[in-house]
Amino acid sequence: MSFVIETKDLGREYKTYQKKEGVLNSIKGMWNREYISKPALKNVTLEIEGGQIVGLVGANGAGKTTLLKILSGLIYPTHGSVKVLGFEPWKRETEFLRQMSLLLGQKNQLWWDISARDSYSLLAKIYDLDIDTARMRVKHLSEMLSCEHVLDTQLRRLSLGERMKMEIIGSLLHNPRVLFLDEPTIGLDIVAQSAIRNFLQSYVRDYKPVVILTSHYMDDIAQLADRLLLISKGEMVYDGTVNRFLKSTETSKKLIYRYKNDQQERELIFQESELSEKLNEVVKSGEVVNLKIEEVDFEEVIHRFLAKESRI
Amino acid sequence: MKKLFIAFWRRNLAFSELAVVSNLEYRFNFFIDAFVQPLITVGIELLMWFAIFESANAAQIGGFTRDNYLAYGVWAPFLGRIAVSWMYESMMVEEVASGSINVILTRPISFYEYYLSQLMGYKVTTTIISMIAPLLVTFFFDLPIHYSRLPLAIGLVFYYLFLVHTLSFVISTFAFYMTRVRSLTLVKNLTLWLLAGELVPIDLMPPAIAKLLLLSPFPAGVYTPVAYITGRAGSELVLQSFISVTVSIIIAIPVGTFLWRKGLQSYTGTGA
Repeated sequence: MSFVIETKDLGREYKTYQKKEGVLNSIKGMWNREYISKPALKNVTLEIEGGQIVGLVGANGAGKTTLLKILSGLIYPTHGSVKVLGFEPWKRETEFLRQMSLLLGQKNQLWWDISARDSYSLLAKIYDLDIDTARMRVKHLSEMLSCEHVLDTQLRRLSLGERMKMEIIGSLLHNPRVLFLDEPTIGLDIVAQSAIRNFLQSYVRDYKPVVILTSHYMDDIAQLADRLLLISKGEMVYDGTVNRFLKSTETSKKLIYRYKNDQQERELIFQESELSEKLNEVVKSGEVVNLKIEEVDFEEVIHRFLAKESRI
Repeated sequence: MKKLFIAFWRRNLAFSELAVVSNLEYRFNFFIDAFVQPLITVGIELLMWFAIFESANAAQIGGFTRDNYLAYGVWAPFLGRIAVSWMYESMMVEEVASGSINVILTRPISFYEYYLSQLMGYKVTTTIISMIAPLLVTFFFDLPIHYSRLPLAIGLVFYYLFLVHTLSFVISTFAFYMTRVRSLTLVKNLTLWLLAGELVPIDLMPPAIAKLLLLSPFPAGVYTPVAYITGRAGSELVLQSFISVTVSIIIAIPVGTFLWRKGLQSYTGTGA
């Protein structure tokens, strides 16, 4: 089987300058600097087929953005091999760049000083697209995202949510076969997050690109990802479906309760087998006026799993 | 091949257009930069040379009349403004240092091409507007210049701009290693300012230095075109400048490409 993305023992180290405190050490640093090497990614082996949405999840500094940067050709790997669409990304061959897109939620990809429509016209020329086809595509995508009314506004004057929609259209204009999305919903309100999630879902259903998605919002991953990659301290600690992951982790429940004199509800997370014990504890400690038991949500399970992994 | 050629021009014209559109978004800044600033520069030059000749109480200084100096003083800053790339060089450096370059690296764009076309687009637009000031002064004071020589002189400066841009490209690659290279930009631009003959006309320099400088590509930015339009030099100096600029570009591009490739290997995709 041919894979769209393949990596073998992929790794990347970063060399960082260590500055000791004080002016004297700054002066010393003029001729003698101390560097340390820190592995950001360790021996990652991956195979991703076409048409998948892969959720890449990890704590800050876990290595997910480094992996994304290597796959999109932004940085060189220190060791190992990587192929995306049959190309070595770091060579940045035109044919490769024309077939992929990278959207960084925390950075502008479009031009700040001009309108989105002007940006799209420029992108059409960069990707050598037929101008009428590009216009039709902008119309179609902007209708899907309900943002036709802001296409002629200078990018810098748009709200964060509107700007992200514009960025998404820009990254999809050339119909990429591989799409790297780094935090596409970061900083957005719930309505905008949901609009973007729904859009991505229907876009992937219609156009079938491979999507690698990183997000700190687990709802993004739970709703969109066919496959989940969990990364911790540069290593892949889980690779499988979201459902399999939930089944493989200990089933947890959440007890939500309120005592008579409490203003707010309290929460207690426990294993399914501990139910009676925990209920007894709660009831003995005061007069309970409200009590319910819920499934722990995906976000919480992931956080607990990663917290456990990072302590290892 | 034809398709590639068309795509190349289509893309680069779009980059030039981007520079014009982006700058015209800020009308006031553009007006000051393209019109008011050249006007003030011309005013200062006029006042300075009037004052020098008034206080010297002489018809000639160093063998040149007041009108010769006025012509030099009016046209040298105008051409000198075309021949520098402060704004685009700092943008290039900033892109590398801040990681905004990620946008370029993940698209089928060449960093060199992208900024060169923007630089050219911006310079063409501002040149057309800022030329009004020296033309008015030349006409009003009947300064000794050959109008028919202006297209070739301006053409030489624009050709020299390719070299200036290539040097900016080289400087910007240093940002991969050192992040902040503002001081390097400053030193390089001041050196070019002096070597191009904008600060002091090369005629007034010691003959040995002047001879050496004229062999270098730098006078192509200011001295050669001004000397040509004011009649102090003939077309042979212009031809010599075209040749030395070409040789320098041929040397500078591989240096920049080498540093660029090495820089990318150590790049960490800052900010993403």
